[in-house]
Amino acid sequence: MPAMVRVLSQSLAVARRILAEQVRQWRGLLFWALFPALMLLLFGLIYRENPALSAGFSQVPAGILIGGALFFSCLGGTTVILVAERERRTLRRLLLSPLAPAAYFLGIVGALSVVAAGQTLVVVGIAAALGAPYRGSVALGLAVVALSVVAYVGLGFFFGTRFARRAEDVNGPLAALGVPLLVLGGTFFPVSLLPDSLLRAAWFNPVFHMNQALKGVAAFGRTATELAPHLAVLGAFALAALALGVASYRRLLRQERTR
Amino acid sequence: MSGAPAFVAAHGLAKRFGSREALRRLDFEVARGEVFALLGPNGCGKSTALALVAGLLAPDAGWVQIDGRPPAPQRGGPAAIGLAPQDAALYRDLTARENLEFFGRLHGLGGAALRRRVDELVQRFGLGPHAGQRVGTLSGGWQQRVSIAVALVHAPALLLLDEPTASVDVQARGAIGALVAELAREGLTLLLATHHLDEAERLCSRVALMREGRALACGTVAELVSALPARAVASVRTADPSALRARAAALGWPVRDWGAPQALSLLLPEPLPLADLVQALQGVPLSALAVQPVGLEHAYRERLADSQPEDFGSTP
Repeated sequence: MPAMVRVLSQSLAVARRILAEQVRQWRGLLFWALFPALMLLLFGLIYRENPALSAGFSQVPAGILIGGALFFSCLGGTTVILVAERERRTLRRLLLSPLAPAAYFLGIVGALSVVAAGQTLVVVGIAAALGAPYRGSVALGLAVVALSVVAYVGLGFFFGTRFARRAEDVNGPLAALGVPLLVLGGTFFPVSLLPDSLLRAAWFNPVFHMNQALKGVAAFGRTATELAPHLAVLGAFALAALALGVASYRRLLRQERTR
Repeated sequence: MSGAPAFVAAHGLAKRFGSREALRRLDFEVARGEVFALLGPNGCGKSTALALVAGLLAPDAGWVQIDGRPPAPQRGGPAAIGLAPQDAALYRDLTARENLEFFGRLHGLGGAALRRRVDELVQRFGLGPHAGQRVGTLSGGWQQRVSIAVALVHAPALLLLDEPTASVDVQARGAIGALVAELAREGLTLLLATHHLDEAERLCSRVALMREGRALACGTVAELVSALPARAVASVRTADPSALRARAAALGWPVRDWGAPQALSLLLPEPLPLADLVQALQGVPLSALAVQPVGLEHAYRERLADSQPEDFGSTP
């Protein structure tokens, strides 16, 4: 079987498996939909009651999708998948199989992209109902979400292999390292509030570019050309995330070999 | 081993985890089609040895070859290896069939070939009524069956079974034993780690008796048992061990203290009826008496008693 076909077929197998597990653990899916929905409703109420803020509500849904939905499902979700793989010892079976590290990464991206698509529909739907309709190119918006998923999964691999060996460890790195990335990414407030020094630092934060790109396309209908700097950084980060994910998976296998 | 070339060869295997020495110069060979057991108590290094054979761990010293080449999981390796770990290591939210399909796909099976292989394993392992059930809801015995089936999905040449019956009930133990025996009859090479002496005796053509990371002895069950100067063993519980020892010495029967509380073992040249034994031991206060044909358990106890830690270098 040619290598590319093998990787693709293994990725599909991994994605299918994870989705089947997610569906059976339906409570997790429910909470992943409920969390951004509730956040959006709350923000909608806050903005509606405050005339000084109401003009900015159109940017809120993108922030909620990046920071409230994809952050937990894709970054947190990947970390949990890796830890579970280690805890239930299925990693040993994967080690003995010819599963390519890239196929494992892409399989997780595939499965979590489906979850992300569902979350996107929930957020976009509620936002439209609250008076903040999606304005830009659907294809561009989906591309930003897809790149964000890849970037988050890469970070999830990093967190899962470096900082979380057991289920109890998962929340620590998410809170200590992930949430600051959200804040520095201007997820829940306009980046204009950031001082210059933090704004410069934010350029190295993938979440910043996810937010700026998605807010640009969803709230202001900006084009790919207008968003090129953010898309370029996000694209580069997604590629780096793939490399990071593959390297992290290899590291995970090495760790398993020394247990 | 007979003159057949070794399919699995392990020589001088050593592995340390921190300050704990899990394996100390372990040697063994397994011929193609043979069922070989690594037998010993928990913590003696059996699982580590299996992980080294599978290529999941790298040895600190020594080497493993399978069919003449080192194991190389994920790169195809010299021969496909199947491993059924001690804890079933399955996706608990997937059904038994879905677990089989998933691992089959990773091994390149698909479409009709995958369906055929999965159906074959479901039927062979009697999983029919449970194939559609989530693995997490199955009993330990059924999970172990699924685990072994998953290990076989890619038709490996070598199957490694790590304590397949350690956490299952007696009925499931019997069923899993029968499955292993069936696989052995079909010529699959099996390397089994177990602490059940009866299991090793029943299922395996050869056995390595292990303790503290080393093989104390290695051979067929008959060879190991014949090393004992007896054909039967009487286990005697008495309030007066000295009297028993004296009487046994007079009869020419070696006495062993294999560590059973308040019991000594007499090595008998022939199995004796209990009445004859009671007669022979007249004058010794007996509180319990049992006679068994000599078996692997006795050979193992004898080896354990013989081997002090400093003797461990001698691997037959």
